[in-house]
Amino acid sequence: MIFLCPKGHASTTPDYCDQCGDPIAASPAQPTQVLPVVEEADTSQAARLNPCPRCRSPRSGDDRFCEACGYDFLSPTPAAVAWEAVVRVDTGQFARLSDRFASAPASFPTDHVEQRFALDGLRVRIGRSQGSRPETAPEIALHDPGVSREHAILERQRDGTYAVLDLESTNGTTVNDGPVPVRTDKAPVDPLPLDDGDQIRLGAWTTITIRIR
Amino acid sequence: MSNFAADVYQNHYLSVDGSQVNAIVTVASAGGVEAAQQPEAAEIVIVDTSGSMYLPQTKIKGAREATSVAIDCIRDGVEFAVIAGTDHGSLVYPHEVRLVSASETTRSEAKRAVRRLKAEGGTALGSWLKLAGRLFDTAPDRVCHAILLTDGENEHETPAQLDAVLAACEGHFQCDCRGVGTDWKVSELRRIASVLLGTVDIIADPADMAADFRSMIQTAMGKATRSVSMRVWTPQGARLAFVRQVAPTIEELTDRAVEVNALTADYPTGAWGQESRDYHLCINVQPRNIGDEMLAGRVSLVEGDELLGQALIKAVWTDDQQLSTKMNREVAHYTGQEELADCIQDGLEARQAGDHPTATFKLGRAVQLASESGNEDKMKLLQGLVEVDDAATGTVRLRREVADVDEMALDTRSTKTVRVRPGT
Repeated sequence: MIFLCPKGHASTTPDYCDQCGDPIAASPAQPTQVLPVVEEADTSQAARLNPCPRCRSPRSGDDRFCEACGYDFLSPTPAAVAWEAVVRVDTGQFARLSDRFASAPASFPTDHVEQRFALDGLRVRIGRSQGSRPETAPEIALHDPGVSREHAILERQRDGTYAVLDLESTNGTTVNDGPVPVRTDKAPVDPLPLDDGDQIRLGAWTTITIRIR
Repeated sequence: MSNFAADVYQNHYLSVDGSQVNAIVTVASAGGVEAAQQPEAAEIVIVDTSGSMYLPQTKIKGAREATSVAIDCIRDGVEFAVIAGTDHGSLVYPHEVRLVSASETTRSEAKRAVRRLKAEGGTALGSWLKLAGRLFDTAPDRVCHAILLTDGENEHETPAQLDAVLAACEGHFQCDCRGVGTDWKVSELRRIASVLLGTVDIIADPADMAADFRSMIQTAMGKATRSVSMRVWTPQGARLAFVRQVAPTIEELTDRAVEVNALTADYPTGAWGQESRDYHLCINVQPRNIGDEMLAGRVSLVEGDELLGQALIKAVWTDDQQLSTKMNREVAHYTGQEELADCIQDGLEARQAGDHPTATFKLGRAVQLASESGNEDKMKLLQGLVEVDDAATGTVRLRREVADVDEMALDTRSTKTVRVRPGT
């Protein structure tokens, strides 16, 4: 038997929640709510928009502690954390992808210096640099022939972290070598949340490392 | 099964931002189950037969007699054995490495063997316990209990060897330890008794041995449960600062936790007969809002997966200082008993180190606490070491001449506590 505590925990004990210790109002006339209700609450928009910054499990209600990893949501607010994107050229990636770009006259840049972009704002665009039209240039402009003009976007989450979406780029985007969701006009998709140290790879040689400043 | 009752004594009111919850949980087991329902038992008596047991001869004589009395108290069907301890453990009865079912015949055979016991050789406590462990291993699923009697220090093995044996025996059997005379080491026997969930005491006069052995065996034969664990749950974000048994003796359990899950741990309490024990738990919780209630701890007694009894420790935040500043009587009493035990230990240590001012201060405070709580047994023992000028203020003078036996008795019994006096 599962009992629902005021904070939305599924408790196996009927009197007090076996997670947070809250009293569970037991009214005998009312049948106790069971687990499916909890699952519904957990997958709600609110829970998904406010995941645990450490382990990304959904936060249920206004719980102080993450159910999965015990993270204290009241600890120094994640919003105060400043993020940055570090852009590097990656010879390994270039070597792996050179087959695909064999037809295009792409030469690996030898004069590249590491670039850092402080992330602020709700949306940070990533795209190919177009010297002639600076007014519409993306915030992170890349000199990489494999990158689309509007390639991907970083969106700030409610908890202050960033998440990434691919904008139907020609050559795609990966994070830690896994796929990144693609935004199309047909259906809304959730961006992929990014953790400190995650590596976004795109284009012929670009690696963007997301990290806490 | 046995009948358990658990009660909580605490002031559950916490002030604004208050985070420490103290509670005394008293657990009483009605015991007294029918013999047929009693778990099957195994019993081993370990007698020191090192050479020093002849000094004086009354020691080995007393030990022989006490062991015979103990054998008489072992009820039919209990698997038993007798071990003689020197620089190794050897079987007195039976003559091969196994346990024997108690009956009229086997009990008299065992007593005959005990009468022939001679004292010669050294002392290696660990090797005796190791042999007992081997014998108990042949009787799985029984409630295993041993009595260990010694008159000397563990001379013929290293502390590390003893530690290794204790680690191997922990959880397999319980062991009550008795020291006879004044040449044994209190800390050694206390450590064995502590790990093996038994008692430790001094038998000053060999003539008292038989009575003590009889009562130990009777207690062991009265066990109505197998091994029982105290299961403690605390909420997310809380930390169990300590859990210790505070009556009948003080036993620290905090570092003996066996994790059940992230929020729950088990603490061993051994087998229970008809008895009652008290526990002091201190839990640090995350403060909540005024008016909020929270379960700060759930204390369950479990035998295997069977729930025998349960008690709830609560926390309610209030801005009424009258409520939150009140100290619960039981918590106050046992906090005092814990301080009393610490003061005696510290005082004895300081006295041995020649630090008389500290010894006088600590033992004076002990006298004060013993007098306040009505711990007459402790008071009597303390008077063997100090002359009390004024118990209420703890004004004492160290005695010049102190009998070893008085000092060891105080040391051994420093962890014995008294219960709250009714109506105070």
